[in-house]
Amino acid sequence: MAALDPALVEFLSSGVVLGCASRDARLVPRSVWPVGIRVESGGEELTVFLPVATAGEVVADLKDNRRIAVVATAPVDHRAVQLKGQVLEIRPASDDERSQIDFHRACLARTLEPLGVPRAVMVRFDHWPAHAVRFRLEQLYVQTPGPAAGQPFQAPFRPPEPVRS
Amino acid sequence: MIALRDIPECFEGVIPAMMTTCSLEGEPNITEISQVHLVDDRHVALSHQFFNKTQRNVRENPYASVLLFAPRTFEQYRLQIRLDHSESEGPLFDEMAARLQVIASHTGMSGVFRLRSADVYEVVSAERVQGFLLPPDPRLDPPEHTPGRLEAMARELRGLQVISCRVNRAGCLEALLESVLNALDEELGFRHSMVLLPDGRGRLVATASHGYGSGGVGAEVPMGEGLIGTVAARRRPMRVAGVGAELRYWRTIRAELQHAGKAPSAREIPLPGLPDAQAQLAQPLLVGDHLVGVLALESRTAMAFDAWTETFLNILANQIALGIDRASSADTDESEPIPDLATPARSAAPVPRKRVFQLFRNDDCIFVDGEYLIRNIPAKILWKLLRANAESGRTEFSNRELRLDDSLGLPELRDNLESRLILLRKRLEEKCPDVQIRPVRRGRFELQVSCAVDLRESESA
Repeated sequence: MAALDPALVEFLSSGVVLGCASRDARLVPRSVWPVGIRVESGGEELTVFLPVATAGEVVADLKDNRRIAVVATAPVDHRAVQLKGQVLEIRPASDDERSQIDFHRACLARTLEPLGVPRAVMVRFDHWPAHAVRFRLEQLYVQTPGPAAGQPFQAPFRPPEPVRS
Repeated sequence: MIALRDIPECFEGVIPAMMTTCSLEGEPNITEISQVHLVDDRHVALSHQFFNKTQRNVRENPYASVLLFAPRTFEQYRLQIRLDHSESEGPLFDEMAARLQVIASHTGMSGVFRLRSADVYEVVSAERVQGFLLPPDPRLDPPEHTPGRLEAMARELRGLQVISCRVNRAGCLEALLESVLNALDEELGFRHSMVLLPDGRGRLVATASHGYGSGGVGAEVPMGEGLIGTVAARRRPMRVAGVGAELRYWRTIRAELQHAGKAPSAREIPLPGLPDAQAQLAQPLLVGDHLVGVLALESRTAMAFDAWTETFLNILANQIALGIDRASSADTDESEPIPDLATPARSAAPVPRKRVFQLFRNDDCIFVDGEYLIRNIPAKILWKLLRANAESGRTEFSNRELRLDDSLGLPELRDNLESRLILLRKRLEEKCPDVQIRPVRRGRFELQVSCAVDLRESESA
């Protein structure tokens, strides 16, 4: 069983762009843009929030076979990790969890605005209501583009390189 | 299903896409990809340069899903795709490999990666992700007036007419280049542009520039290197819609290589022109198959140049190329007065009493007062003029006598003498205004010297 180290936990709450993947019974893959992520149980479980407006097919897949992959990418320098695991629970996100979603969106807006995404657009990303999908972390991979992409992640998480705009 | 041709901006590489695949064991995999290439309305292509999980998955299970983002509206689109075939040669492969090398060269990674294949996917379905964006709030995002297509086309047609007339009327190469670059700004809003001409030695030299201040002329680009050099070598236009995004992506790869101890040794090549350009476009200037130059445009706005701009500028490029070819080969009639060219303002700085010109023979390079001035054939021409002036006081010269002087090394055909003299004139204006060359009649020019000149020669520095 994998677990996240503290630097990775911090990375996931730093305004990363998320992607969530599923597949159907015919092994046809599908994906959706999550609107937030939360680390639980000391880093062995995570909850990812998927907007109801766009996640219908992905949620159906996850209910069917429970295999999930989530990628988290820092948009400024493309550092990325991929988390894979088994879905444990799917339920409507609670009002308390909505504030966590709002926090993620605020962090993401701060990250994306210097890259040319206006805040007026950020507030238009449909984020509520959302599904809360809790999964057990089983595999963790480096996803930063380059020679190490796709290799199993090994702690510690490397700090970001200074990147020119 | 939407038509892919209706969402061309999604394929410009400005916002990375997300690609999902699945192994035969049923394990989904998701990763960011820098660009999806539009092939036609039923196919897209992805570059394969690394062997990774995505590559392994699609080779055992050909289905994939891609999330694309429109960089202006930020709408999201979902493509369900199926690997059709891979190409390791041919026009698509060459185009994708060239793009890869253009950006790689700007980040010091020329030749570090090779494109293994262009993987072509059949698009099974394409849809806008309904509900991804809420409708705009007019209080936060008031609608802006953007010119309609008809309005824009009228402006472009007018610009085309103006530039065509200027090309037609230009009396000499220098006037042609200056008036065309001015018109690109005035009529079409392209603020930063340059024309680079081949020097016959595997390089392109910026002979006219607009929007770069005084330092734009004289910049050199090796043939085949960077966007401009690649466009010249391939004789095909290219554009990079999101320079900043692409540089960030490739600098990350470079950092990862350095971390892995596999750092490339090549230096990072600065982009010619604007240090903060967000969009670049380069058009080859061709007469038949013959390259007479490259027109390069830059903008600080991502997506400033799109497929339409490229097509439209191709018409202009053909006109400009014909004008350059005509002006370059029509300077032998010595009876016709030369049209007026703007006389540069002299520097307000005190004129030095003596200027030292140092020629280094090993690379035909001239320095003035210790500062680089010019090299290659224009340097040989300048040295010939300065020596003749020093020895006999001669001030007037003809293009014909330069062409007959074998020591200058001008090629017999298409010698580009006119463009070399323009470059020399502009470099002198910028670096040594006490020595000027001024056209007096077509095919004749005058050397004007307003300082004492000390000529020194050595084999090397």
